[in-house]
Amino acid sequence: MERLSWTGALGPWLVPALEAALVALALAALAHPLALLAGYRLGPGPEAARSGPGRAARLTGGLLRLSLWALAAALAAFLIGGLLVPPEAKGILGRIATRLWPVWLSLGASFALVALFRRRLGLLGHLLGNPAGAVGLALVMFWVFAALFADQIAPFDPITDVIAGMKNKPPGTPLPAPEGTYGYYLLGGDALARDVFSRAVAGARVVLAIAPAATLFAFMVGITLGLPAGYLGGRLDLLLSFLANLVLAFPVILLFFLLVTPEIVAMGVPTYMAGALFLFPLIFLTILWNSRFRTRPPLRAALIGATLVLGGWLYAGLAWNADPFGVVSMPAGVLIVFVSVVFVNAPSVFRIVRGLTLDIRTRDYVAAAQTRGEGPWYIMLWEILPNARGPLLVDFCLRIGYTTILLGTLGFFGLGLAPESPDWGTSINAGRGLLQFVPFPPLVPAVAIMSLVLGMNLLADGLREESLRE
Amino acid sequence: MAGFIIRRLGVMALTALCMTFIVFLLTNLQPNLEKLAKTQAGARITDAEVASWIDRNGYGAPMLTRYGEWLGVLPAPLATDADGRAVGGRCLRGHPGLAADEVPRFCGVLQGDWGYSTKFRRPVTEVIAERLQRTGLLMAWAFATMVPLALIVGVLAGMREGSALDRGLSTLSIATTSTPEYVSGVIFVALFASSMVGLKWFTGSAKSAVEGATFQNFTLPVATVALYGMGYIARMTRASMAEVMTAQYIRTARLKGLSFRAVVLRHALRNALIAPFTVIMLQFPWLLTGVVIVEALFVYPGFGDALVQGAQNNDIDLLLAVSVVAVIVVLATQLLSDIGYALLNPRIRVA
Amino acid sequence: MTTPSSRADTRSDRTHPAARMYAREHRAGLMDRREFLGRATALGLTSAAAYALIGQPEPARAQTVPQRGGTLRIQMDCRELADPRTYDWSEKANETRGIIEYLAELRRDGTLRPMLLERWQANEDATEYTLHIRPGVTWNTGEPFTAKDVAANLDGWCDTSVEGNSMPSRMAAMVEDGKAAEGAIEIVDDLTVRLHLLRPDGTLMFGMADYPAAVMHRDKIGTSVADHGIGTGAYMFEEFKVGERIVLVRNPDHAYWGDGAWLDRIEFLDYGTDPSAWLAGADADEFDVTHETVSDFIDIFSALGWVESSVGTSSTVVIRPNQEAEVDGVRPYADVRVRRALALAIDNSVPLELGISGRGRESRNNFHVAPDVHPDYAEIEAHRQDIPEALRLMEEAGMMDYEHELVSIDDDYRKNTTDAVAAQLRDAGFKVRRTVLPGSTFWNDWTKYPFSSTNWAHRETGIQLLNLAYRSTAAWNECGFRNVEFDALLDQATAIADDTERRAVMARLERIMVDEGVAIIPYFRALYRHAKPGVLNIEMHPKYEINVHHLGWA
Repeated sequence: MERLSWTGALGPWLVPALEAALVALALAALAHPLALLAGYRLGPGPEAARSGPGRAARLTGGLLRLSLWALAAALAAFLIGGLLVPPEAKGILGRIATRLWPVWLSLGASFALVALFRRRLGLLGHLLGNPAGAVGLALVMFWVFAALFADQIAPFDPITDVIAGMKNKPPGTPLPAPEGTYGYYLLGGDALARDVFSRAVAGARVVLAIAPAATLFAFMVGITLGLPAGYLGGRLDLLLSFLANLVLAFPVILLFFLLVTPEIVAMGVPTYMAGALFLFPLIFLTILWNSRFRTRPPLRAALIGATLVLGGWLYAGLAWNADPFGVVSMPAGVLIVFVSVVFVNAPSVFRIVRGLTLDIRTRDYVAAAQTRGEGPWYIMLWEILPNARGPLLVDFCLRIGYTTILLGTLGFFGLGLAPESPDWGTSINAGRGLLQFVPFPPLVPAVAIMSLVLGMNLLADGLREESLRE
Repeated sequence: MAGFIIRRLGVMALTALCMTFIVFLLTNLQPNLEKLAKTQAGARITDAEVASWIDRNGYGAPMLTRYGEWLGVLPAPLATDADGRAVGGRCLRGHPGLAADEVPRFCGVLQGDWGYSTKFRRPVTEVIAERLQRTGLLMAWAFATMVPLALIVGVLAGMREGSALDRGLSTLSIATTSTPEYVSGVIFVALFASSMVGLKWFTGSAKSAVEGATFQNFTLPVATVALYGMGYIARMTRASMAEVMTAQYIRTARLKGLSFRAVVLRHALRNALIAPFTVIMLQFPWLLTGVVIVEALFVYPGFGDALVQGAQNNDIDLLLAVSVVAVIVVLATQLLSDIGYALLNPRIRVA
Repeated sequence: MTTPSSRADTRSDRTHPAARMYAREHRAGLMDRREFLGRATALGLTSAAAYALIGQPEPARAQTVPQRGGTLRIQMDCRELADPRTYDWSEKANETRGIIEYLAELRRDGTLRPMLLERWQANEDATEYTLHIRPGVTWNTGEPFTAKDVAANLDGWCDTSVEGNSMPSRMAAMVEDGKAAEGAIEIVDDLTVRLHLLRPDGTLMFGMADYPAAVMHRDKIGTSVADHGIGTGAYMFEEFKVGERIVLVRNPDHAYWGDGAWLDRIEFLDYGTDPSAWLAGADADEFDVTHETVSDFIDIFSALGWVESSVGTSSTVVIRPNQEAEVDGVRPYADVRVRRALALAIDNSVPLELGISGRGRESRNNFHVAPDVHPDYAEIEAHRQDIPEALRLMEEAGMMDYEHELVSIDDDYRKNTTDAVAAQLRDAGFKVRRTVLPGSTFWNDWTKYPFSSTNWAHRETGIQLLNLAYRSTAAWNECGFRNVEFDALLDQATAIADDTERRAVMARLERIMVDEGVAIIPYFRALYRHAKPGVLNIEMHPKYEINVHHLGWA
């Protein structure tokens, strides 16, 4: 078998189209700011200033938009064309597009659903109308679905499929003995002769399992401590704020080095920290139910009971690896990384929540609840927290992106997960030395990390804009 | 104001005290001390030799006592051999061959002695001073490129919210904040510094910058630090600018018939830059993480490298000094940003 | 006064009878040239005489005389210094070799070359050595270098009471009760020392040429040269920054005994452990020589136009189960079936390709003696991967469900080699979890991990390695391998001077290692170094030695 080309049979038509679109985009992107500035300078007074950019700027602006659409169309043609042509005519891009079909299907379905029920979905519905938010959502959902369907998408096992002769091979290389396998390493082989494409997809699963969950835990901790600090104030606030500032003043890397060194792990420090940090979701939920359903004891008891039983079971398994049924557990390496990430993120969340609480507690509806005689926890959790959800949601998205980068940083210093783990940070670190010569093993996960974080940031941006507009 | 600053300095001292105690605790756990003994006296020494090394060199006393010795409030004992010669102890580190009666009894921070770096085999103060100077240079250049660029981008984008220019520049700044240093640095080196790609404009190693930073050897590390930090400041500036542009007094100025350019330059800019100022100051500690990565990537022996080396080799005194410096940097920039904010914005008074 | 009789005396004095025997063995094809040269020079022959004995001219070295002057920059880890006897890295010795020198030096071709000694000779059964000190050598304090210095150093080398002193194992034939045996070291006159060994040892001089055997001033034994700078070498430290850079410059106040010391200035520059940083430094023209070029970077440095030099060695990565290690109350590797199953699951060419890019040669089988490098190598049947047999053994042992934790250090070739082994074990159907530890942590417990990989440096003979690492009582016995029969055979092999006979015993030792599944030893490495064109005498050394006195520019 021969090596695959990037574009397959579609190349001769689509590559020139793509190039033309790119050139047009570059020209328009250069010309537009110039035209804009020129327009301002030429404007003869207040009328021009109010009427916006001049005619030249409008022209270049239109060109910019047009070339963007052309570029998008060309790219879409690659994907759709790649999907549709017969297998032997597919290039690398076409084959990747084909492997990703569960992602396209789910993406299409979910966007169609959102569009259909746009009115009823509130913030999420509005997001589709916001270009930044829509692109961000699409990027994020792409990786979420890629992570979900990783087993279907990846043609090879990301860890155990080490195929002799495939070390550092370029994209599209056929296997020496393709019988009974997918036959090609679509994005080449890495230094240990594993499939780069499969590892990138499997890496999404690792990253998206850790980053959002760790961020969520950090939020639980930050909220559970930040609400009373802001609402009750006093000594408690003083103490908690001091502790938060203490952790924040630590250089993150030093903290990681100290927590992740094998000696400290052997002493069980991360396990004890997990024992403390993983309690917070339990506390949070218990207080949540308790404050809300104080007047309905049976429901309260049922909810709290369920939380404690279910949560306690998860807690024992995750933090102490002591699940009596042996189902729930977390690998030691993952636990350390998880705990460290939660630990450095929680204080920032704490500060944000505290600041928001300080602001919101002076509002009328809080005063009204106080006069109604509601307890402090009810006010914090059911009056203040819902009204702080906008900024918190935005921060949540941003923080997932930041956590993803942090995981990569850990991988960079060799502090993160096991070396064969397909997560992106570890892969980048493993491949970066030979980037000039064998670019794909580090470049593919690098693009993946950038696109996911970009998606998160764009999503956060869209959310911020839309929640401000509300 | 003076009271405010004194109170903040007090908090700073307390934070430093707590932080150093935590670092001390973690670095002085028994397995870490054993690791230190093995890196110092040879990897193949026996367990008995490890124990005697720990005792002899003053690591054997209870943790709190030794923390007191480091602070300089407790005397550090001296180990002597049968002939009464000094053979080890906190105050003897770095001064081998000192006679027993010449060794000071106290040698802690209060005496101005920050200890001895077991990794670099020099007094900690020397190491830190030299490294801070180098990192300072890197940071200075990074800020000098990052801040003006970010402000220009932010102001241009925020001038007309929602315009194509705004969208383009905003996406650009989001993209830079989405590209971590370990990605951008690696790509920079591959593109601009390798024989294989051929564009050997810069060097991918900043080691020679120690003797003298040049355009060639310092550009890539500076660009890598600056790029990641730039997007954030630019977006803050944009938000602040966009907010100012909708303010009442700007509308008034424009209704008065002032040109758009004049409105932006004379009225909007000054007020729009107050918020980014605090952000810029708060970037300092945040950049520290980036500096650690960049120094490792470009082999630049600065403060970040000292941190990594200290942590990898369990260099206790060095790590304690590093964390004190970190606390001071973080809290001092916070203080400066608060004061600066108050000075720039006459409506706010520092309580 | 060249009467025939005195000439005859000189001749018998120079040509040790054992050396003549070795020459016969060499001609009979029983000993390769490298080993012959090593052994003959170890007994006191000059290398010219050794070459003459086997009827070959000594290779010319005319083109290797460098110019005087210049600066050379060498990329190398800059490590902290201590008492030379406790050196645990060859880099430390390279840092100080310009100041403190050695009695003799091991060359790339395996011969010994006298340095601070002018010559030495051993008696017939190698129990008595006479060391003739080179006249005219002085310390840089101005004092002459005498027999007293040599004797004091020998005393120090035999002292086992010093923490981390690794010399006593090399001087074992003189050590009694933790120090030099009574009367073992005799000062004959100012320039002659005679050693009386407790038992025969033909390899003693190799020990004196090894990197911890740097000769210190008699009053400074036990100190670090960084603290006082006293030595016989031509250089002195100008700058000494651990982890950063070390600069040596010619000592202007010292008359050096040799005709070397061509360079004015040598800089050792620390670029950390990441080879891509070395490449960046080379691309930026920040240094002229690499300490060691590894894996994929070998071709890249050659492509940059740098001159490659390599040397085949017996250094390797040993992936070994520890038979005595307990995991959760059981000893998973006490069962020979488990160990054999692990070895049988591996195709040794895969770690060679993926771990070190094929830069070395595949081992014959899983024993620690290198073909073509070790003179006492004996050929037994080759290893063959056999997965069905591996599965059968593992199932029989009831360990199919056991998850093996495979530990390695975090670096380039050791990690990749171990990863390749782990991947093959998984491929065979075993459960494997990988743990990677940073270098600063890994070495603390390296002999105790249940299942881990260790790199072993080059040794001149196979029997040295087996004694070091696989004898029941050896401190570095990381396999937890305790076998009475093996120990007895080791004793037997160590006592045999004749190689033909030794090889027969070695074959039995090698067979036991394979049958017991002691370790997976996939390959033996070739070591590489790159230098810019024009750098002379920097060729890669099997023990990474760099003697700055020899280096220079063409």
